[in-house]
Amino acid sequence: MVSLPETLHQLTAVLGELPGIGPRTAERLALFLVQAPPELTQRLASALLAARERIQTCRVCGALTESQPCALCTDARRDGTTLCVVERPVDLLLIEKSGSFRGRYHVLGGKLSPLNGIEPEDLRIRELEERLGPEGVREVVLALPTDVEGDATCHYLARRLAPRGVRVTRLAHGLPVGGGLEFADELTLSRALAGRQPVA
Amino acid sequence: MHLAHLRLRDFRNYARLDADFGPGFHLLLGGNAQGKTNLLEAIYLLATLRSFRGVGGAQMVRHGAAGYFVGARVLAAGTSDIRLYWSPTARSLTLNQRPVRRLTEYLGTLRAVVFCTEDLQLVKGPAARRRRFLDLLLTQAHPGYLSVLQRYLQALRARNALLKARTPDPAALAGFTAELVAAGNEIMRQRRELVPRLSALTRLAYRRIAHDAEEVRLDYAPSVKAHFAEELNRAAERERALRLTLLGPHRDELRILLDERPAAQFASEGQKRTLAIAFKMAQAEYLTGLHGIPPVLLLDDVMGELDASRRAGLLPLLERAHHASGQVFMTCTEEQWPAELGRRLQRWQVRAGTLRPLPATSEG
Repeated sequence: MVSLPETLHQLTAVLGELPGIGPRTAERLALFLVQAPPELTQRLASALLAARERIQTCRVCGALTESQPCALCTDARRDGTTLCVVERPVDLLLIEKSGSFRGRYHVLGGKLSPLNGIEPEDLRIRELEERLGPEGVREVVLALPTDVEGDATCHYLARRLAPRGVRVTRLAHGLPVGGGLEFADELTLSRALAGRQPVA
Repeated sequence: MHLAHLRLRDFRNYARLDADFGPGFHLLLGGNAQGKTNLLEAIYLLATLRSFRGVGGAQMVRHGAAGYFVGARVLAAGTSDIRLYWSPTARSLTLNQRPVRRLTEYLGTLRAVVFCTEDLQLVKGPAARRRRFLDLLLTQAHPGYLSVLQRYLQALRARNALLKARTPDPAALAGFTAELVAAGNEIMRQRRELVPRLSALTRLAYRRIAHDAEEVRLDYAPSVKAHFAEELNRAAERERALRLTLLGPHRDELRILLDERPAAQFASEGQKRTLAIAFKMAQAEYLTGLHGIPPVLLLDDVMGELDASRRAGLLPLLERAHHASGQVFMTCTEEQWPAELGRRLQRWQVRAGTLRPLPATSEG
């Protein structure tokens, strides 16, 4: 049996380490790359190196940035009294896309997960606490996932931040906007019922 | 509700099978190890996505094949087309040609109740068996129960992992405790509502089969007496010592009492067997009452275990399933199939992974 040349084999192995890429896809990508025009691989390689070199996490909020601190943290038009806590940098982008939040952000970098050995010390919670006083934060909005670990992290943060005198809120659970009731599962529906609001 | 068409590819000892079934009784006849139970297993798999033999996907793949396929057409209010493929590297489940994203949307497409020899463990076995029975029934009755149960189990596993740490962070523990309590209370509420109804149905079914004077009663004995959060709080020290969550629905018991005495200790073997069947009949009756249509009944060799009079007690249930255009699949080895069911019966010959309809007999 003829196997792949060694360099091609190594490339496949590296690609296979990427998230969402199985052995077949890795092989297909590798075969494509070695047969693609050389300038494509050049561009890919330099883009990879440049991005890896320049992208860092903002030391204030934890978002991905090229400058320290990031553009969001230095933007004077943002409302510093409200701080939105998210799990991952990508969540921040999602909320930004909605265009309805004008405060600042804080990326936790994960959620409590005893099964994966993620404890409070592994999250950027101390950094969060250190921002509260100096930045004059009055409200912390928790925008964490609604799975068990996300909800437990919310409870944890609410408890830990309580003595700090800030208001801790979390995003509402409810129905997706623009859809019928049939699109919500029962758990969502029951939470939406529990969180019902008077019609103004 | 009935299974109108079953298609198997490389499932157990079936290389290919395509069979059409009408409503009513189907008797699967054949010697040992010919594939009778495998058919029931396939139908049950479509209903619950698990094997009633308690095995994983790999064991259901035909020897030497890459994966198995089980497909079906189910007639209830409408027609549903189900296709399930499993292999060690790929699996897919589609309902009416669309991939199923949430189990809660799928479960209920086909509802089945299986009667098999392992049911005896419901009476004799550990409490976990009975909890699984309750959980399965509640999932069949209200698919949303499954999401709550999954949340509970996630919270439980996380909490146990925290308790295993040398010095558990009390605030983190409190975070997961809140989740455990919220999901746990909902589970206990649903179990508490179900058990009295199930108890009444089991008593009726038992009386019908056994013609005995004994009274059956099911008693829900949750490990939480009144207030989950407070009781956890009181157990905190013991939990830290044992490094385990000591209270909650995962420790619940469903007590089976025969004349107010625990059946596991005091019932005879025959009574236990009858109880196990009564349990399953109660499950079928409960689902019929709830949805207005009977589930598909799968009887794996249980008739052989019952004497003639007890067998006769089971017949009304089967009759009723028949009248409500339900469907019953029953396996029997040739010698001992129940003559009481002679009429209106579709007989099938199962031999080495093939299924062949047999002509109606003249005895009925």
